[in-house]
Amino acid sequence: MRMKRKKRAQWLAFALFRLLGVLVVALLIWILGFIVYQGIGVISWEFLTTGPTEGMTGGGIYPAIVGTLCLVVGSLVISFPLGVMAGIYTQEYAKKGKLVQFIRLMTNNLAGIPSIVMGLFGMTLFVNTLGFGDSILAGSLTLSLLVLPIIIRTTEEALASVPYAFRVGSYALGATKLQTIARVVLPQALPNIMTGLVLSVGRVSGETAPILFTVAAYFLPKLPTSILDPVMALPYHLYVLVTSGTDLEATRPMAYGTALVLIVLVLIVNLLAHGVRNRLGRKVKMN
Amino acid sequence: MIKAESIDFYYGEYHALKNISMQMEPNTVTALIGPSGCGKSTFLRLFNRMNDLIEGTRLEGKCWVDGVDIYDKSVDVDELRKRVGMVFQKPTPFPKSIFENVAYGLRVNGIKDKKFIAQRVEESLRGAALWDEVKDKLKKSAYELSGGQQQRLCIARSLAISPSVLLMDEPASALDPISTSKIEELIYSLKEHYTIVIVTHNMQQASRVSDKTGFFMLGELIEYNDTKKIFLNPAMEETQNYITGRFG
Repeated sequence: MRMKRKKRAQWLAFALFRLLGVLVVALLIWILGFIVYQGIGVISWEFLTTGPTEGMTGGGIYPAIVGTLCLVVGSLVISFPLGVMAGIYTQEYAKKGKLVQFIRLMTNNLAGIPSIVMGLFGMTLFVNTLGFGDSILAGSLTLSLLVLPIIIRTTEEALASVPYAFRVGSYALGATKLQTIARVVLPQALPNIMTGLVLSVGRVSGETAPILFTVAAYFLPKLPTSILDPVMALPYHLYVLVTSGTDLEATRPMAYGTALVLIVLVLIVNLLAHGVRNRLGRKVKMN
Repeated sequence: MIKAESIDFYYGEYHALKNISMQMEPNTVTALIGPSGCGKSTFLRLFNRMNDLIEGTRLEGKCWVDGVDIYDKSVDVDELRKRVGMVFQKPTPFPKSIFENVAYGLRVNGIKDKKFIAQRVEESLRGAALWDEVKDKLKKSAYELSGGQQQRLCIARSLAISPSVLLMDEPASALDPISTSKIEELIYSLKEHYTIVIVTHNMQQASRVSDKTGFFMLGELIEYNDTKKIFLNPAMEETQNYITGRFG
């Protein structure tokens, strides 16, 4: 009898977990399906390769695609080296103690700052004080602040997962600490560090608040020529299309089209990073 | 030749080595035996300053390697570790190719001459009795080798940078009997060129490979003499008890 009740409890619990697991996936598929369904109609070669026209009720989103790509590349070029170096410092060089604890705490706090506040800060520092104006540079710097904690954390974790025996083996051969990190530890940690990069790409390409006051243009049908130019960006363009177009009903399909492009873009970049990660992982094993 | 004089070593408050003086001759194998926690591994690691990596340790006394006081301020630790190779308990090949594992020590020491590196790699692999088994797959990952082969690879890796001393910390304790006997044969042949100090828990191994044996207990060097003497006719009762397996 008891046995039976235990079995039934187990069956119920697992059924519940399975249901919840399926639910999450279903929800994701539903969202994606909904956006594809609503947005696929406006996707055309023209939509992807021309700028908006007719008060943004016609034309495409090419400048916003280019703008978002610029911001992704710009912010990662800044934050990736900085974050990886900071992670190497706290994990490998800094003496375990108060200072490192403080840096960790601050890194976590940085991650907790609302992105709109980050946007405001970026505007004050980069746009006004440093005089970069509304520009790719100012926007990339602001977005960098946002993803820096992610990259630092994943770098630290990736380095920590490299067994200590490798370091000792390297020191025993007369290698310096720097050589050991550069030649033995980093190559092994790199695939996992790439995870931070992948997460950052998703974050950077989707954020609206930090670019609102620092780079994003409401309507700018031409492409940027330097990093000091403002650009349109997909998430902000989406926001504009939904809330403040001249004819909201008419632009609704275009909003879904923009959302679809944004999602596909993030997906492509993630897959690319994943490919690089796997290749590095193989190289670590094979090399 | 390596030599320790009046060594006291502390992990924080813990007094791990007590007034140890010991001298190891060139071209001999010296075995360090004793129960776990007796300080023999700590003593071994003094000679390539591996203990420096542990925080909160303190050393009194002097250590010499080839006439150099290795704890003198003027000594470059990385240079010292080139002259004093070390093989660890578990084989720890780097996640690189077999060739690159052996070339690593040369590369980090600034050697770029490809021909020289290739030649040193072959010599070292031959020296570690591994060449014939790996010569056709030098580009393959070191992880494709068996545990015993990996350990010989680690020995080859140490040999590549031409040390004069080889420290071995239980080099065969993680290996099967066949691999173990190969390592032992290797140790025996290597003493022609190197001063070898080996820490081992295996009494038979100590008696097979070593010329001299030091018995450690509770941080003290109880007895140090010719291996034959230690095993056949030890002077101290503790030694007698340990090697006959009455404790430890």
